[in-house]
Amino acid sequence: MPDADAPTIDEEVLAEMMAATGDDIGFVGELLDTYLADTPAQLDAMAAAVDADDAAALVRPAHTVKSSSASMGAMRLSQLARDLEMAGRSGALGPGDRVSMNAARSEWPPAVEALKAWIERASDT
Amino acid sequence: MIGTGTALVVDDSAVNRLILVKLLEGLGLKVIQAENGALALELLAAEAGGVDVVLLDVLMPELDGYQTLAAMKADDATRHIPVLIVSGVEELDSVVRCIELGATDYLPKPINASILAARINASLAAKRLHDVEQESFERQAALNRTIQRQKEELSRFLSPQVAALVSSADGEQLLAGHRREITVAFCDLRGFTAFAERADPEELMTLLSQYHHMMGTAITEHGGTLEHFAGDGVMVFFNDPIPQDDHVERAVRMAIAMREHFDDLAAAWRQQGYELGFGVGIAVGHATLGRIGYDGRHDYGAIGNVTILASRLSSQAAAGQILLSPHAQALLQELIESEPVGELTLKGLTQPVLASNVVAMR
Repeated sequence: MPDADAPTIDEEVLAEMMAATGDDIGFVGELLDTYLADTPAQLDAMAAAVDADDAAALVRPAHTVKSSSASMGAMRLSQLARDLEMAGRSGALGPGDRVSMNAARSEWPPAVEALKAWIERASDT
Repeated sequence: MIGTGTALVVDDSAVNRLILVKLLEGLGLKVIQAENGALALELLAAEAGGVDVVLLDVLMPELDGYQTLAAMKADDATRHIPVLIVSGVEELDSVVRCIELGATDYLPKPINASILAARINASLAAKRLHDVEQESFERQAALNRTIQRQKEELSRFLSPQVAALVSSADGEQLLAGHRREITVAFCDLRGFTAFAERADPEELMTLLSQYHHMMGTAITEHGGTLEHFAGDGVMVFFNDPIPQDDHVERAVRMAIAMREHFDDLAAAWRQQGYELGFGVGIAVGHATLGRIGYDGRHDYGAIGNVTILASRLSSQAAAGQILLSPHAQALLQELIESEPVGELTLKGLTQPVLASNVVAMR
């Protein structure tokens, strides 16, 4: 199960990204847009794999969501995706994986909100 | 220092690509990207030597990181390009597998800018070293080809032993001059001067060419060093520059082979109306050998009484005779059948010489 204490958004990750890329808010905005554009399709692919009980098909989209979410500081979603990737690699999906999938889906809208809020604040300063 | 270079980023996640591209450009690199391994291999083929480092994700559609890495390592054109595996810390198993497949190192995800800079720096340094080595290797190969070509060209003008000497490590020392016991065989034709006066130039050149071809073949077969061709006169020596324990015997065997082959040539010439005979003089003794001549034109030559003695014996030889100096005869008496020809008074030598004619090998 995901770490209940993990924040929806780890702002430190985003701050580090800003610092590492020369405080280029335009770049982080572009990164966020790309993340927002790509992730829904990956989540759909994960859900389809879980519904079809296709462990192998779950691995790659879950892996992508895990790593891109971690890069954006969306740690809770990243951890849920990591659990699902591991489940996919184990070769057999169980009822717990459906729970994780539903949790990942539910985690997406608050993550989007939190990221948009962060970038608005960062743009203002 | 990172400076110039081209990185290829291979990752199916657009977010990860964006981050890597941004960070790498921040390090001063030119970046190209591919979203799977198949596209990456296409880019590598198109860019040829242009890519200095590859950052490779493991899990990708089309062609994954393992397959891409294996394909790169199987291709001479891409084998040497450093590959950094971009991977989460919980995927150490796949990192190990990639390093076994030939990856240089790995970059943990999420990407840390300082670790990225350090890994890129190390990879580019390794790539530069490889490129410098490759360049030096290619220069050396080109130089070797040139030397080989020069040797081949030289060996058309010089005897092969002397051509090899020119490019060998101790060649300079030998060329500078040294003293050694050698066997000299001097051969020439009886009746050649009269023939040369009568024959037309084409006939003369054809006949000489047949004769030189026959002689050259026998010289090479017996390992002789050809000092020079002078019209019908041919001087060959043995035991230098390559040492030969059996140098006297070699000279005699060569002379016998030449005499046999000459009989075939002489029969054909006789039908054209030319009567030519073949004579050889062989002597053993010490000579000074090395580069003889002047700046602009040198020969590898032998100087000493032994060459004069061989030349004079050759002049005295009747058609079909192989005349040995007394010393050569003494050294070979177990091996050859010979007949004394009496004391010869040779031009330039104060004492008469007791020469013998080689009949055959025993």
